[in-house]
Amino acid sequence: MASQGDDGPLVGRTGTLADIQSYLRNVGPGGTAAVFVTGESGVGKSRLLRETADALRGGDFAVLLGTCLDIGDASPLHPVLQALRRHDSATTTVADDPGALLERVSRDLRAIAGDRQLLLVLDDLQWADRSTRQLLLYLLAGLGDVRISVLAAIRAEALHGTHPLRRVLAELRRLRSVRVVDIAPLTEEHTRELVTAIVGGDVAGEDADRVYKRSGGNPFVVEELSRDLRDGRVELSDTLREIFLARVDELPANAHAVVHAVAAGVEPVDHAVLAKVVRLPEDGLLEAIRAAVAYRFVVSDAEGYRLRHRLVAEVLEQEVLPAEGAALHRRYAEALEPAGGADDHARLAHHWQRAGVPARALPSVVAAARSAEGLYGFAEAHRYWTIALRLTADDATERAELLGHAAESAHQCGEHVLALARLEELAGRKDAPSECELHLRRARYLAATGRSETAEREYELALQAPDCTPQLRATAAAFLAELLLHLGRYADANQRARDALELAAVNGSTADLVRASAALGFSAAFREDPDAGLAVIRHAVEIAERSGHPDDLGCAYLHLAELLTGPLNSIEEGVLVARRGAATLAARGVGRTYQTRLLAIAGNGLFRIGQWAEADAMLEAAMQHRPSGADAVELLLARCRLWVGFGEVDNARRDLDAVATLLAGGGARHVLPMLTLRAGLAMWQKEHAEARAAVQRGLTETRSDDLVLLGVLAWHGLRAEAEAHVAGSPVDPAALRRLNTVVGRLQEGADNAATEVRAVLDGYLNLCAAELSRIEDRQDPEPWARAAAIWDRRQQPYPAAYSRLRHAEAALQRRGRRATAIAGLRQAYATTIAMGARPLANEIKGIAQRFRVSLADDADTVAMAPPEPDQGDELSVLTGREREVLEAVAEGLTNREIGEQLFISERTVGVHLGHIFDKLQVRTRVQASRVFLTAA
Amino acid sequence: MTQPIWGPVQRQMSTILQEHPDDVPAVVTQLQALQDVLCQVPPLLNSNPLADFNKLYLAITENVLDRLYAGKFKDPAFLSRLDVEFAGRYFDALRYWTEGSPACPGVWAGLFTRIPGPDARPLPSAVAGVNAHINFDLPFALVTTFDHLGTDPIDGSDQHHDYLQVNDIFAEEIPGLRRGYLDRWQLLIDTMNGDLDDWWQGEMVEYTRNVAWRNAQKLWAIRHDLAQLDHERRRLDRTATGLGKLLLSPFADFLQ
Repeated sequence: MASQGDDGPLVGRTGTLADIQSYLRNVGPGGTAAVFVTGESGVGKSRLLRETADALRGGDFAVLLGTCLDIGDASPLHPVLQALRRHDSATTTVADDPGALLERVSRDLRAIAGDRQLLLVLDDLQWADRSTRQLLLYLLAGLGDVRISVLAAIRAEALHGTHPLRRVLAELRRLRSVRVVDIAPLTEEHTRELVTAIVGGDVAGEDADRVYKRSGGNPFVVEELSRDLRDGRVELSDTLREIFLARVDELPANAHAVVHAVAAGVEPVDHAVLAKVVRLPEDGLLEAIRAAVAYRFVVSDAEGYRLRHRLVAEVLEQEVLPAEGAALHRRYAEALEPAGGADDHARLAHHWQRAGVPARALPSVVAAARSAEGLYGFAEAHRYWTIALRLTADDATERAELLGHAAESAHQCGEHVLALARLEELAGRKDAPSECELHLRRARYLAATGRSETAEREYELALQAPDCTPQLRATAAAFLAELLLHLGRYADANQRARDALELAAVNGSTADLVRASAALGFSAAFREDPDAGLAVIRHAVEIAERSGHPDDLGCAYLHLAELLTGPLNSIEEGVLVARRGAATLAARGVGRTYQTRLLAIAGNGLFRIGQWAEADAMLEAAMQHRPSGADAVELLLARCRLWVGFGEVDNARRDLDAVATLLAGGGARHVLPMLTLRAGLAMWQKEHAEARAAVQRGLTETRSDDLVLLGVLAWHGLRAEAEAHVAGSPVDPAALRRLNTVVGRLQEGADNAATEVRAVLDGYLNLCAAELSRIEDRQDPEPWARAAAIWDRRQQPYPAAYSRLRHAEAALQRRGRRATAIAGLRQAYATTIAMGARPLANEIKGIAQRFRVSLADDADTVAMAPPEPDQGDELSVLTGREREVLEAVAEGLTNREIGEQLFISERTVGVHLGHIFDKLQVRTRVQASRVFLTAA
Repeated sequence: MTQPIWGPVQRQMSTILQEHPDDVPAVVTQLQALQDVLCQVPPLLNSNPLADFNKLYLAITENVLDRLYAGKFKDPAFLSRLDVEFAGRYFDALRYWTEGSPACPGVWAGLFTRIPGPDARPLPSAVAGVNAHINFDLPFALVTTFDHLGTDPIDGSDQHHDYLQVNDIFAEEIPGLRRGYLDRWQLLIDTMNGDLDDWWQGEMVEYTRNVAWRNAQKLWAIRHDLAQLDHERRRLDRTATGLGKLLLSPFADFLQ
């Protein structure tokens, strides 16, 4: 907060001001830019903000100003809503979901900006609430479709500790469109300049030196000391506190009262409110205010009064007797109470609390909590509920209800440990909810903290509780089944889901039914009975269609689409289901978030099966829903993957920057895909070092359960090394060693993974092995042929085409099997052209030219020759039937499917498999498949 | 400031500190660059107290990086963020010191002022740095990391295991840990991690290396309350500063 009005001259900041303006104009690919000004209190941040706003206003910028409040518990989005109000655009803050709210605010900002760039100036950002920080990232990522430049000031002191902005800034710093400008104190020379300007005329060298030493170059202190010097006041003190206390003593009594009153208020203080607080006759009040302004304590503008600097308020705060302070706050509260607007709840709560009248504060606090929940500010709501608890005695009747709210809001904003603590207090009360309900809630909170075992026990206790109603029992069973599924205990999950489904069918809600069906469906699919699983989830969709509730519909369709595109690898059908689900919800005009997610699934599925143009359209449609948070990140990543494939470098960069911006607010699980895409893009640009750096960073930021993500990353890493090697740059031996370690870990992990994970991993492991052969100059077409076969089987033409290209390259280099190589190259070319994968097509053309192969001729008519049945020694030990079974196993078929295909019983398939394992000396299906594929 | 704090290498220091490393490999690179420059700081050159600490810290971070690559941690994403955030606080302290800013934490300032001498022995110097880094920086780095990842600091979690593994690395890498000195060393580590007030008063000393974790949990609960947080920060700084002074005094000679 800052001094306004009769400022001293601005000294020593000319370069900084010019830099800030140029940074704000220099928007990134997403049309946004940001400058964060940091520095200690009094260093002149607010002044820089004001000067910049004045310089840019009226030109090609529309300017909005907001200030965050230090009352600790401001209402969500306060500074931005304040900025909008100042512009006379009160936004309607009622929205269906958090995303809709962000969109509504963005729309107002767009309207204000018109065809100009919007400059949003936010002072004291260190006091911003979580919702405001999220809105900022949303806007800077370009999701609000507002061409916006943000200029914000942050107190350096706030960044020392654990302030969330610390990490946000660390993440944003590396983006080209974001700058962090640290404002240093003035140099000795500049201090002298400022002193001279204020004193006017000659200043003795020793006086200027003294001011510099005492102020440490802090402009605010320099100005005050210079005025003392000018006015011939004897300086007795160097601390700000002493300077100001001396000044306060000089004030006329009434002005003294005004200054203290403004210091206790939440700025800006309205005149009418101040009149009620100070209680002077009108003439006396005006005179007192005039004196306070003349003595440079208070400034006045259209909105009301504020202190010239927050530093002054902090000094005064310590001088007021507790009883005096309480009385002032009480008068504020009484003055504000009749108005009672939504935004006033927070202020009222603040003043009543400070007034030491908890009973009066409670209704405002509860109102503020509810209004924060209305704005999806769960973190803020949680703090209000916590204050409400502090205001109520243990034996108060409303305490149980407040505890319930506090626990749930804590859970909602991710404070699971606190949620559990609140719940414990609730459980210890006489008026606690039922045993069963307590267990159920405890279990949900525990599951959210990752303590699955304890959560499981709590669900069991909920089910056994004597006071458990049939409805609660159905809910508990469904949640338990879901938890077991996440733990990979498919048999247990299956059993629980069956129980839950039975219970839910009679007594449960549709949500319970859908949850139980999903758990049953997935567990059945994982237990190699995909048809049964599919049937259950299809049934759940029917039920949801009947209920018509958006959550039920959204969940059911999501589960079905995920099952199809995931474990069952029936991508085309999954895409159809996802589109139908999105269309159903759209027709009813509900479930925006679910529509976005369904379209994202469809887009991702279409990408995998090579229908990129359609994927593009799908993702575009999903982006129209203006998703926020994790949904937005996933969509941006999906779209960026497409840009990288298309070779649209600028668009890809833009989306990567947007992802990085959103991730600055948190979200570790998306870091790996982002780094993988960064590496992929760099490779097409022949920037091997950048690709390597992205992958190596990725290797340090994985989670152990991210096997598939790690597989993609490892392949990118090996490919980067191979490309570097081929281009004549050195391979990084350390990087290569680490990648090999990771591949080893993946192989181990694959053996223990669920079937569908194993199948995907196999694809990447084969690509890794093939890239390795390239690094080692083996020019071996075989590993590439295997990789192509696997990706063909997974119906993913992009990696298959890439494998064919490398296969052809190696074969042509070896001068063997030229016809097969050419056919493969042509097929790959046709595929990439159909998809629009320009960089890969160019690469294919390059190889074709190098080996004088024509791609155009009959490219479409010549299919890749099927792998020749070139039986190796290993398979010769098998009988014909065993070989048939093994072939089917290698295709990823289940025993039942193999039985149906070969017209033998499932049990006989098992017997054959046992023989095959013995003869090949392997223990798993994957190992057997590998032997088969190696030999075939 | 009339005299540049780092003398002839002032410019090099400023240049290095303009970087803000955001992954563990970059942290290692930054520490290496610092090591090269710190060894040129007059008058003690290679044997100044900060160079001693930096060398140790570099070894520890390289060890962490190796383990990350080898997949030794349960939640590498957490550990990487923590490592970057943790190192960032040391770099911040150096930056404040370089700029002559009063914002430099007292515990670090205590070590930095000893750079021109008088000569402190390498082991206590390195340990004084470790003290500043663990007893002051680490709790805050933990809270920031958890806040960013959206998880709570919970005992027995994957993150807690990984965190304890880093403690092992510290113990492994600290030099001079010879058999004969093991007991005394152990005593110091334990007291260092314990609360100094408690130690002074001869009350219950926490024989655990878990104090930074405990402090982080304490901070976690009050992290939204800026005033209380600031208060706690000052308290931790005071405690660690007192211990740092002791480590750099002749008392700590028994370590060598």
